[in-house]
Formats: sequence, structure tokens, C-alpha cells
Amino acid sequence: MIRAFLATLAGVLVLLAVYPTFGTGYGVRATQQVFMWIVLAGSWNLISGLTGYVSFGHVAFYGIGAYAGAILVTRAGWAWEPAALAGGLAACLLAVLIGYPCLRLKGPYFAIAMLGLNEVLRALVSYFEGLTGGGSGLSLPTLDASVPIYYAMGLTAMLVTLLTYRIVTSRFGLRLMTIREDEVAAEAMGIDTARHKLGAFILSAAGPGIAGALTARDQGYIEPVSVFPLAMTITMIVMALFGGKGTVWGPVLGAAVLFVAQEMLWARFPYLHQLLFGTIIVAVVLLMPRGVLGILQMKYRLPRTI
Amino acid sequence: MAAVLEVDGLRKRFGGVTAVNGVSLALEARRIYGLIGPNGSGKTTFFNCITGLERRDAGRVIFKGERIDQLKPYQIALRGIGRTFQVIRVFPELTALENLIVVTRGDAGAAGRRARELLGLVRLDGLRNEYAGNLSYGQQKLVEFARVLMRDPALILLDEPAAGVNRTLLNDLLEAVRRLRDQGATVLLVEHDMKVVMGLCETVFVLDHGDKIAEGPPGAIQADERVIEAYFGR
Amino acid sequence: MNVVITPEMVGQVVISGILSGALYAMVALGLALIFGVMRVINVAHGPLLMLGAYVTYFLFSGLGLNPYLTVPVSMAVMFVVGVILQRTLVFRVVNAPELSSLLLTFGISIALVNLAQLAFTSDLRAIEYLTRSFVVGPFAISGSRFIAFLFAIAVTALAFLFLQRTKLGKAIRATSQSAEVAMVCGIDVSRVHMITFGLGAALAAGGGALIAVVIAIQPEMGQVWTFKSFLVIVLGGAGNYPGALLGGLLLGLVEQLASLFLTTQLSEVVAYLLLVVVLLLRPSGLLSGRQT
Repeated sequence: MIRAFLATLAGVLVLLAVYPTFGTGYGVRATQQVFMWIVLAGSWNLISGLTGYVSFGHVAFYGIGAYAGAILVTRAGWAWEPAALAGGLAACLLAVLIGYPCLRLKGPYFAIAMLGLNEVLRALVSYFEGLTGGGSGLSLPTLDASVPIYYAMGLTAMLVTLLTYRIVTSRFGLRLMTIREDEVAAEAMGIDTARHKLGAFILSAAGPGIAGALTARDQGYIEPVSVFPLAMTITMIVMALFGGKGTVWGPVLGAAVLFVAQEMLWARFPYLHQLLFGTIIVAVVLLMPRGVLGILQMKYRLPRTI
Repeated sequence: MAAVLEVDGLRKRFGGVTAVNGVSLALEARRIYGLIGPNGSGKTTFFNCITGLERRDAGRVIFKGERIDQLKPYQIALRGIGRTFQVIRVFPELTALENLIVVTRGDAGAAGRRARELLGLVRLDGLRNEYAGNLSYGQQKLVEFARVLMRDPALILLDEPAAGVNRTLLNDLLEAVRRLRDQGATVLLVEHDMKVVMGLCETVFVLDHGDKIAEGPPGAIQADERVIEAYFGR
Repeated sequence: MNVVITPEMVGQVVISGILSGALYAMVALGLALIFGVMRVINVAHGPLLMLGAYVTYFLFSGLGLNPYLTVPVSMAVMFVVGVILQRTLVFRVVNAPELSSLLLTFGISIALVNLAQLAFTSDLRAIEYLTRSFVVGPFAISGSRFIAFLFAIAVTALAFLFLQRTKLGKAIRATSQSAEVAMVCGIDVSRVHMITFGLGAALAAGGGALIAVVIAIQPEMGQVWTFKSFLVIVLGGAGNYPGALLGGLLLGLVEQLASLFLTTQLSEVVAYLLLVVVLLLRPSGLLSGRQT
């Protein structure tokens, strides 16, 4: 069973690796976007799926990464590869800054604090116009790097998934889950929940930071509204939920399925697609909060590595 | 023999209610103690203050010569105090085995073996891969008990270990507690089941409305007038 | 910013802060009730306010009614909308983990905004009414904002009387403290939930109706109000209704003062920092007495 799975996985990876050689421009772009959503949903899963602390402003890390990367490329002449890593680092720093005070808060309050983070970052970006280009946005020097970025994003997606796998199969991961199950009991059993939460939070920020910087480079232009939209947080959450939060492959499944769904809705119902997507969100939350893989896991006693 | 745990003038208020009112006691190694008292006498709050789940208002708690009343709960746990809860707090979406190994660090193999050993002790080895949330009440209680033992704590606080547990399981549990005492641990249990207390504990403390009103061997406590009054009315 | 700041400027800003603070308080009270009674984080609060504004707009432009007269109508209409939303959707996430209620109400909020865009288009609407300011001493006070302030105070006072004196109000407070005990005492908790959500929506709509005279009306106008209402209830302590008042006033003052001493752009940042600081020091809000 496992061998069949690994064989299929290897096959898919090979296919994805050679795809740019025969795929259409749109196809490569779209697949790259799926990679990006895998990074986002998978990273959100690391903090919220495992510890139960719902990060409702996770796109803040994506936005910070985008700006850090873009600023380094335009103002400091960096190449986009190290700029992308710097974007991830910037996001991690933000995670430390905001996580330290906010992770002490109980569930709903943490969610609200994270919700506000977005708005605040957007305001800050607009304020520091000299550096960030403010409301008019920031243009990067022209560069067609869509194929290398495809690979970079794909690599990041793989790393995030691999990281999730390693965490979920380790005692560190189990300890994170105890925070979700019963934080008080976890503390009473000798687990330093504050440090664990912060650790998970920092790990969950790196991916979005890198993804933000990569997307900024790829699109060549960013502005506050495009990199800090609440809708993006919601989408990554719903993708993780749909696939199965707390699982390894859930975010991957959710990203792929819902991205395709979103594209199809946009194509068919240009005026209603938001409304319909809102309906999907509601349906997922009400009808299948555990997600596809979550339900299967419970029902068929599948191992955690699903 | 130096006291393992020394509590000096512990006080805890909740708004207008004084739950623990200047309680002092000392526990020595290799003994089993009981903490009894009518409902609302402050027993669980007392436990919570010792383990750091509640911050005490006044008083000192000294464990193995070190003051622990300012520490965080996880730090206190790591120093060697383990506890169970009045309302069972296993981790429902972790398996029984995972519930035990999650509290350990270091050698995973050794942790796994120790976990299986302890689960075997409470006759749950067969259910080790079952989600703890799916186990019966009594089984969850045993998992929680085994979990406490994983770190070999020097002081074990048991909050109503006999509640809701059938006779056979109960005997296993009591046997396990005696064995812990023989291996050098100190056990303090809160219990309502008087037969358990009288049969198991060497010294019993009695709380009433936050005050410690009696302390002594079970026989003496049973005959103590203040205790009888506290339980059966004024 | 090398402007000399005079006491008059500070005074003016304090007045502005109080005026807007009362409005924040009223709207946030709605959110506080919903959270306190049902543990639901209502991200759709802003869109409800927006719909209230549109009701007022259409009554004004269609029937030529005095916009201030439409406030009760707007509130009544949105009360019904709130009850319907609760009855059909929100009841499923009452007392659920916060992720469920966040996502559900977010879904509702996109739906409402989208529907508004379809029905009303994104064109800006405005209500031209009472645009004069009047002068008191060295201070200029916007007429419409002042009336909004009066209304907000009145409505909030009524809301409190309702919560304290009426049977239903007490039932709401009881459920807010403990739904189980309330049920045992014979309170119809699901009815309380419906009414509370309706009430919350009505308060939001009231805010929308009042602010419709002051700012431009468009489908996205409510978003920033959601954010601010959250700030207020966290400042005041969710489930702590008098706290919402204090929080609202505090937010109004901080915002206006920040725009005076820094810039308007940073006032949101300052408000957020205030939030974080308060949460660090008193995780249960400024007036913690009630631990919900």
C-alpha cells in the first residue's frame, strides 16, 4: 500500500518537474499558484491545525514577505532568490514579534488580534511610502523568471509538506497537539506550551513569507491591497479545512481542489463567484469541519501521516 | 527525614470566597496521605495552587527544599510533581500510548517501552493504539494515572482516583499506589470514598471551608469530633 | 509634524473622540451581545451596519423621509434580518470552536457584501442632510455627528435599561453567563439567541443609519467597523457590556488623539497597539469582572 503511494507520489513529482517543458503559459502559472496555496494552507495547518490556535491573519506573513522581498530587489538590487529567503526570514521575525504577546491570549482573542494584524500592516505599509511605495505600490524591474519561480514555489510546497510530515510523526508534533486537546493538562504534564506555540507559529510564518516574495517577483508589482487581503487568509483556511486540518496531505488536497473550483467559478460566474465561494465556505464549515482526510482518518483509522 | 513537600500558610481567594485559608502541612517520602473534606472545602483548589494552575494569594510551597510557588505549571511538573484531575483530562485525539509518550523527552525507544510497561500495569496494553477519547470512563482514568507515572514523579497528587471506577480496577489502582510508595514516592490523594482513604492512607488531613481542621492517622480522624461535625452538620 | 499643538486643538479632538466613541460603543455593544451570549465572533457585523445604512438611504431618497426618522425603521428591519440569519445559519455555530463561527460569519459577510454590490452597485451614495457645523466656544462641532452622538447615547441607554429591567433582558444576561443554568431556570435559550442576534444586528444597523448621513455609502463601508468593534469589545472585555461603552469611548479618543499627534494613517496602528498592550496586561479586557 505504502509502496504504491510512494510510487504514485514519485510519478506525480516527476510529472510536475517536467511540466514547464510542455505546458501552456497559463497551465504553468496555474500550477504555480496551486503550489503557492499548498504553502499557505500547509503553513496555516502547522499552527492552527496542530495547536488549535486559529491564526486569522496569516496572510500578514505573506504580505510582509512580499514587501521584504520586493524592497530588497528594487532598492538594494538583490537577486530574487536570496530575497525570497529574506522574505521568509522577515515573516519569521514578525511571528516572533506578534506571537510572543498574542499567543498568550485565549482562542477567540487570539483570532481577533490576528485579524487586526492585517489591517495594521496595510496601514503601516501605506505610511512608510518612501520605502514601500505606499498606496501606489511597488514595481520590480522586469524579469521573466516564471519557470525558475515555478520550481522555487514547488520546492517550497514540498518542503512545507515534508516539514508537516516530520512534525506530525514526532513527539514535538504530539506535544503541539496536546495544546489543541487540553492546554491546561499539557502544562500540568510538563509541556512548555508557550514555547511550543511560538515555535509552531514561527515555522508557520516562513512558508508564506517565501511565497509572498516569490509571487511579488513573479508578478512584478505589488500594492498593499494585493498582498494583505483578508480573503486570502480565508481561502487558505478553507483549503486546509476542506482537505483536513491537522493532517499532512489535507492542505495539499484542499489547495488543489479548491483552486480548481475557484477558477471554474470565476470563469463561469464572473459576477457571482465571490458569493458562490462564500457559500462553499459556509458549506465546508457546517457540513465537514474535519475535512475530507480528517473524516477518512477517523472512519478508517488511518495513520496520522495521512 | 526532610519533608518532600512543605506548604506554609497557603491562601487563595476567589472574589469574596476564601477557598484555601492559611493551610499548612508537610509530606514525607515513602508515605501515602489522604486529603478529605466536605464538598467545597478547597481540596482541588489546594492541588491547583501546589501545581501552579492557580496563583496563590499568600503562603509558600516548598518542594524538595526549593520554593515552587512562583513557577509556571510546566516547570513544577518537570521538577517531579505529577497529578491527575477530578474531571479526567486525557488527550482525546491521541492514542493511549501517545498520551503517555508525549510527556517524555529524550530516548523515544525507552519512552515507548516504559509506556507499554505502564499500560500493561493497568491492563490497557491491548488498547494502546485506541484514541483515548474512545475509551470508557474507567479506562481513561487509568490512562491518566499511567500518564502521571511516566516521569517517575517524587510527589503524586491524585484527585479522586476512585470516583467512577469499578471494584476490580480500583484494587489494581490501589495496589499500584502502594507499590509507588514502596519505591520511594509520596502520594497525596483527595478522595470521598472513605473505605479507600481509611484502607490506604497513613495520615489524613481534613479540610473544611478552606481550613485544615484535623490531621492524623485514619482511626483518629474518624473519631474526631470536628471532622464529624464538618461532614454531618452543625 | 512640527505643528504647535494648542489646548484648543486637544479639546476639539477630545470632543470628536467622544462623539465618535459613542457611536463605536453602540455598534460594538451589538457585537458584544452576540459574543457574550453565543460565543460567536460575528465578522458580518460590518455588513449588517452597511445594510442599515442602505435602508436609511433608500427611505430618504425614495420617500423623502427625514433620515433620522428612518433610524428606528432601519433597526427594526435589520433586527428581523438578524433573527432570520440566526435561525437559518448562525445557530449551528453557537458555542462552537471559534474557527467555525469566524468562517461562517465571514461567509455570510461576503455574501451580504456581494449581494449589496449586485443590488446597489458599488457607486457611492450620500445623504445630504444637516451638513452644518455649529460653534461652541473655540470648538466646531459637526451637526450630523452631534445628532448621531445623541442617538447613540439614547439607544445605548435604552439597550441597557432593556438588559437590566426587562425579563427578556435579564434572560439574555443570564444566558450570557451560563446557558446551562439559564435553561434549567426555564429560559428558552434558542429564543434568546435569536433575539440577541437580532438585537446585535439592530444596533449595527442603527450605527449604519446614523453614519449614513456623515460618510459615503457603499457596499464595503462596513469592514472597518467590524475591525473597530472587535477592538472595542476586546478593550472592554467581551461579554462585559458596560465595558463595551468604555472601550468605545477609549477607542474614539485614542483614534482622534493619535490623528492629532501622529497622522490619521497611523491611528489604526495605534488603536491596534493599544489592543495588544491591553491584552498583554489584562487578557480579559479592561473591566474584567465577568470572566465569560
